Amino acid sequence: MFRLSRILAPSTTVHAHCDLPCGVYDPEQARIEAESCYKIIEKMGANSDPTFTTRAIHIKEERADLAKHALDVLWHDYFKPEHLEKVPNLHELFWNATKQVSKVKASTNLEDARQLLAMIDEIDAAWKATGGEEKTRVNGRPS
Amino acid sequence: MSPAIQPGDWLLVDPTVTRWPRRGSVVVFREPDSELLAIKRVAAGPGDRVDLDAGHLILGDDEAWLLSDAPLAELVEQGAGTPIDSRRYGPVPVDLLVGRAWFRYWPAGRLGLIRRR
Repeated sequence: MFRLSRILAPSTTVHAHCDLPCGVYDPEQARIEAESCYKIIEKMGANSDPTFTTRAIHIKEERADLAKHALDVLWHDYFKPEHLEKVPNLHELFWNATKQVSKVKASTNLEDARQLLAMIDEIDAAWKATGGEEKTRVNGRPS
Repeated sequence: MSPAIQPGDWLLVDPTVTRWPRRGSVVVFREPDSELLAIKRVAAGPGDRVDLDAGHLILGDDEAWLLSDAPLAELVEQGAGTPIDSRRYGPVPVDLLVGRAWFRYWPAGRLGLIRRR
């Protein structure tokens, strides 16, 4: 019987994936990358070694891109039209935050990075206000 | 592709098709971006018009618009993003067509033809 099933079983698998969201969305991802940028700028201010500066700039660009990507995913995939009722300035929040990421990429000013963290905190508040934590984290956000 | 196709279904696929089957048929094809072997339904065929949020497009004479069966509202409720079908990767050219899924032979309780919708 088992042999028969092995003969009859298909040899190829097809994927019907209608979508592949893991469904986990947390502004924390963006915040960690933004904090990385903050720390890099801070360290750059204390170290003028050219090799260090070159490496720091390179890594800041990378982390900033990741912050931007995390923000994009939140905006496109987590937030829904009905959330605009709770957060009417949602699109503006994201527009400003992603523009701030670009600023932080080019900047050696700690204040720019601090601003970015503040903007991400606002997005975090919007995520919490729309039930993000309960709906998308496996056991809530780890404390 | 639920409920028409469930995970674990064993299907017979007609590989002799050289043109896009009629609207409503379930087809197996290679996804344009990932080359994954996928299964969707033909929502529109060559020459048909597809209405989009911001306008429309007319399919070329070797293109099809392939959609998943899951209703958009259900996907949105589940927290899904853009469905992985033509809404994400656009029209699919016929050279990516592998075959038409026409019969389910396992599980026995759901044995039967895969109907056009």
